[in-house]
Amino acid sequence: MAIRDIKPTRSELIELKKKIKLAGSGHKLLKMKRDGLILEFFELLHRAKNVRSELDSAYVLANEKIGLAKAVEGAVAIKSIAFALKDVPHIELESKNVMGVVVPKIESSQVRKDLCERGYGIIGTSSCLDEAVEVHEALVEKIIVVAEIETAIKKLLDDIERTKRRVNALEFKVIPELTEAERFIELRLEEMERENTFRLKRIKA
Amino acid sequence: MLKTPWKQKQGTKSYAYLCARVRAMKSKLLPKEVYPRLMKMEVAEITRFIEDSEYKADVDELVQRYDGVNLIEHALNQNLALTYRKLLTISAGESHQLISEYLRWWDVWNIKTILRGKKYGATDEEILESVVSAGQFGYHDLMMIVQKDVPEITEMLSQNYPLEGYSEEELDHFENVLDKFYYEKLTEIEAVRKPKTKSHRLFSEMIRTEVDMKNLKTLFRSAKAGVERERIIDMLIPGGLKLNTISLIKLTGLPFNEFTTSLRDYPYWEEHLSSIVTEDMDSLIGVEIGLEKYWLEYAARTSHYYPLSIVPIMDYILSKRNEVDNIRMIVRGREAGLSDEVIRSRLVL
Repeated sequence: MAIRDIKPTRSELIELKKKIKLAGSGHKLLKMKRDGLILEFFELLHRAKNVRSELDSAYVLANEKIGLAKAVEGAVAIKSIAFALKDVPHIELESKNVMGVVVPKIESSQVRKDLCERGYGIIGTSSCLDEAVEVHEALVEKIIVVAEIETAIKKLLDDIERTKRRVNALEFKVIPELTEAERFIELRLEEMERENTFRLKRIKA
Repeated sequence: MLKTPWKQKQGTKSYAYLCARVRAMKSKLLPKEVYPRLMKMEVAEITRFIEDSEYKADVDELVQRYDGVNLIEHALNQNLALTYRKLLTISAGESHQLISEYLRWWDVWNIKTILRGKKYGATDEEILESVVSAGQFGYHDLMMIVQKDVPEITEMLSQNYPLEGYSEEELDHFENVLDKFYYEKLTEIEAVRKPKTKSHRLFSEMIRTEVDMKNLKTLFRSAKAGVERERIIDMLIPGGLKLNTISLIKLTGLPFNEFTTSLRDYPYWEEHLSSIVTEDMDSLIGVEIGLEKYWLEYAARTSHYYPLSIVPIMDYILSKRNEVDNIRMIVRGREAGLSDEVIRSRLVL
């Protein structure tokens, strides 16, 4: 707000004081939100690190097991058996609110299945395959957890960034400008009062 | 109607001739000393080695469609199929019947693959890439089956296989039914059920030992996964050598540690299982490989007793399969980055 656009009136001063008060409380609230989001972010980050490392080790294990299954049974056999698995895991996407930020909540079902519900026969297959399927089911579960946490982290980061910008804008631009305008109006009003006093004295004289 | 090889009448009934041919074929198998050398090679070197062996023609034929490890695996499978089909072609009469009944395993495997592929919605080409025409169905028979839709396939095959009432939702059940049917048919052959000669007795013992191994594997997996007792009983194959149906039923539905403890009272524990089974074992792969090794060593041991019978032919069938499995284990193991120790423990030499 440029100083020259300000009307140095009492009503403008009252309006500005209200704005400064509002901006101050908004600034305080946004700072609290930012701090809260950062706390939440670090908590999630800690969980994300754990599940990420779990995901990495689950992926390595899954690769190892499928490699072993391919070596023992043959890739052709594994491909043939994989044809039998048509059912995909059921994933439900919901959302939850973390300090005003909407983050996803992913619920999965039918990822882990019993030996008899996997879609392939038992007599004609081997435990290499069972173990490969088992670790891949665990891998899918981990991927779902990581997807939930990492998306939440991304959304929190975006919101932290946005809130930080708002806090900074209020702290370093909006509030200083309003304060300056308030000071200007106060000075101008004082000046006008002095001019009035002087004019009255001159008329009296 | 599908053509069956035994109608071709090209083979011989003479075991002397057949066994001489099989001995010649067996001499071309890779000797044991080659495997440690193969284990030190990279995949490209193994491919080159394979190209200089019996698999050359298969590698040359498939080189335009596949490369690397896939080329080796498909060449091995093709060679195995051609070898088994050669056995069917050169045999006739009893030997042909026994070989073709034994190799029916591949037909069951191919039927399962086709039904799985159809359920998944795979293309005909994708399904045909996964079949191995090592049984009575030749590649052209399989191509003809793949081109049909599921009701036509089940209708056509239900004359010879238990596929009545097939539905895709119950594919796993029908897979078990087909596998069980294969072993039941095998154990119902006269030479297995009521062996009259010594060679038939050995053949019968080989087949029934395989049934025992299969049942043991099913019991181990079911106990580990906690499968319901009734479902396990449905999957057990009757006609084993040392484990009859009553013994098997007693072993079903037990928690894993109780199951392994109970096994001590049964055959195979002392001679084999005691060294590979523990109550708290995490993986069953070692047990399965151990049982496979036991069965192959048993077959190899008995094959020397009757040189002019079905027994050395069976030994060749198993040795050929074992060679293919060993080479694939090394190549795929290398590709997957498995340690030499793991690969070596999975080889049956």
